[in-house]
Amino acid sequence: MAGPLAPERAPDTTTDEEFDLDRPWVTVVWDDPVNLMTYVTFVLQELFGYDEPTATQLMLQVHHEGKAIVSSGPRERMEHDTNRLHAYGLWATYQRDT
Amino acid sequence: MRPFRRRGEEVVARLVDAEAGIVTLLLDQLEQLLTADRADTGGDPVVERLFPAGHTSDPEVAAEYRELTEDGLRTGKAADLATMRATLPPDGGEVRLDPEQARAWLRTTNDLRLALGTRLGVTAETEPPDDPSSDEGQQLAVYYWLTAVQGSLVDALAGGRAGRW
Repeated sequence: MAGPLAPERAPDTTTDEEFDLDRPWVTVVWDDPVNLMTYVTFVLQELFGYDEPTATQLMLQVHHEGKAIVSSGPRERMEHDTNRLHAYGLWATYQRDT
Repeated sequence: MRPFRRRGEEVVARLVDAEAGIVTLLLDQLEQLLTADRADTGGDPVVERLFPAGHTSDPEVAAEYRELTEDGLRTGKAADLATMRATLPPDGGEVRLDPEQARAWLRTTNDLRLALGTRLGVTAETEPPDDPSSDEGQQLAVYYWLTAVQGSLVDALAGGRAGRW
């Protein structure tokens, strides 16, 4: 990250592509009227190894805010995480971190 | 129904005859959806919910995800369904599941609830039916019954993980 004393970069030396490669991907779980709160907590513990307080906190974030980021990393791993969540019927998507 | 309880490594519940009959029927319906040609079920909200888009902003990424994962997802759901069917006493009775079978039940009861909930338009405000004798009331009653089954199964499994059993 450039500090105030860092030389200013010419805009053409950093393409969007390069910039994007540095941004991780994330897996997002969305709120859903059917899935039980206890079930969502259980699945997050089961798939990601979160302890119960962490999984509960993420579940509550999904419930109250409509969504929560449950994992982040390379795109292939987020595809895999999304797929594992879909196998358990959770509503999940992956995207570039914003 | 006697809800799921932990018994050592296993979880055990008991279903009456009529309950086992309803579950059998629901499993048959779910199986039809899972084995139907995608061309025939395109746009069906239940199928869309069981096989959701993995990505929403870039159609190319979304298509790639579907191509990569849909067959496996379908195979997994079919295998879970077969496990649930094989461990369900057809005329009611005791259901006894090892940890693997219990997870198959968890995922399949969830698929059944997603399918019913989507068909019935269940929202966060939905409540148990006032009139359980109407057609929709009956289906909603089944939905809540499945919720109780799955809820007790989650509690039995989660309790075991926390070392409380």
